[in-house]
Amino acid sequence: MSAMRQMGTPRVQGTRLPEVTVGVERAEIERREKVFSVAELGVSYSGKPALEEVTLDVYENTVTAFIGPSGCGKSTFIRCFNRMNDLIPGARVEGTVLYHGADLYGRDVDPVDVRRRIGMVFQKPNPFPKSIFDNVAFGPRVLGLGGNLDERVEGALRRAALWDEVKDRLKDGALGLSGGQQQRLCIARALAVEPDVILMDEPASALDPISTTRIEDLMDELKRDYTIVIVTHNMQQAARVADMTAFFSVVVDDDGSARRGILVEYDTTSKIFTTPSDRRTEDYVTGRFG
Amino acid sequence: MRASFQEELRELEELLDRQAELVLRSVRAAVEALVARDVELADEVIAFDDDIDDVYLRTQEAIELLLARQTPVASDLRLVLAILHSNVHLERMGDLCTTIAKLTKLSVDLPSDEVLLAAFREMGERCEEMIRTALRSLHERDAVLAESLIHLDEMIDLSNRRVVSRLLELGPENLEWGLRAILMSRCLERIGDNAVDIGERAAFLATGEFREFTDASRDPRPLV
Repeated sequence: MSAMRQMGTPRVQGTRLPEVTVGVERAEIERREKVFSVAELGVSYSGKPALEEVTLDVYENTVTAFIGPSGCGKSTFIRCFNRMNDLIPGARVEGTVLYHGADLYGRDVDPVDVRRRIGMVFQKPNPFPKSIFDNVAFGPRVLGLGGNLDERVEGALRRAALWDEVKDRLKDGALGLSGGQQQRLCIARALAVEPDVILMDEPASALDPISTTRIEDLMDELKRDYTIVIVTHNMQQAARVADMTAFFSVVVDDDGSARRGILVEYDTTSKIFTTPSDRRTEDYVTGRFG
Repeated sequence: MRASFQEELRELEELLDRQAELVLRSVRAAVEALVARDVELADEVIAFDDDIDDVYLRTQEAIELLLARQTPVASDLRLVLAILHSNVHLERMGDLCTTIAKLTKLSVDLPSDEVLLAAFREMGERCEEMIRTALRSLHERDAVLAESLIHLDEMIDLSNRRVVSRLLELGPENLEWGLRAILMSRCLERIGDNAVDIGERAAFLATGEFREFTDASRDPRPLV
């Protein structure tokens, strides 16, 4: 018998090669459920358009990143997902945002319930001036969520990768934690009310590099159970953590009087950072234009 | 920390290992086909190159994505660059095995020489040993082990040089086979060179400095 036949058949069988091709990745993501479906979305503040004609879908158990230069509307856009723009006087949202197929801005939709299911973490950590325990317990108490509160708090702190650091001092004030710990506490606070989605607006920009890495590692773990949407001005962060990336840019009216944001390109992060389709995306991610 | 990134680096090394396994099988089979004058096996080697090319492309794509998304630095960057280059060297080895197989098919009915066939078998074994050593030196970040490849390579180079003198001893009836034998020997010698090249990348990974282990302009060994 020949050596090659002795070594097994020439065709390599049962080879587990990692699936890394860009095309395969997109197809797999698009098979997942759509958590948000946005169609022709526009936002204006006091009649001035801030963002227009955005159409995209956010898929379940992914990290989706919005990147783009200052003023491109990415923070305005993420606020549409939990109706935070409702709280801004003069803000107007047009177009549709479907959340699991239902109109997020429907007449009968309770915005408070929206913000429980679609939690938010902000750039500057904002723990309440309370104990670590009470910060996490606040939401469940206010909402009257049942079950054992201690277990709920511990579960949230564990999922936010903070439990081991604070388990022996839950009664200590939250403001005594480091910046990175405070941010993870804010994530735990959002997790405690059993959200479906976690929105993060520049979650690590106020943190040191190691804390940033911990938050990024946390996003990677959390996406198994939640859907994460982040705004980041740090492109490399988007490249590291996001499955899908949307690039927004600014357009200026001919007379230079008005600037508004538009969605330029939305695709898998792999595609955006290797072979972007739009020249503007290429210019932005390569740093030629910002 | 950065668990996904670490996992991607591990997968890259695994891809390279997979590539090396395929190339080892190809070398073994190409030499066996040559020595046993087995045309069917030679055809298998030629077809098998598609599998090697497939892993080569997957590795290239994985490296491109990893560089774009993870911005590796320091030893991580050296690892990715070492794998990038080693991937090309392994793919070249696969092509050289295909060439040996094609030459085998062309010369299967020609009178050969038992002495040279035995030498080819030994050169093949030496090539396999060099591939294994080169990959091990890369995985273990062992510059000393990498540099030991020079000595293994010398034996192959010596055998390659002796092919011409052996052919001159043979009669004209072996001429056609002999001309192809020179090319096949050259292919085996090039496989050895590519293994040394992987060793140089392994040493770069370990030390941060790239240098060629030998340089033809400063090689003291006689050309004979």
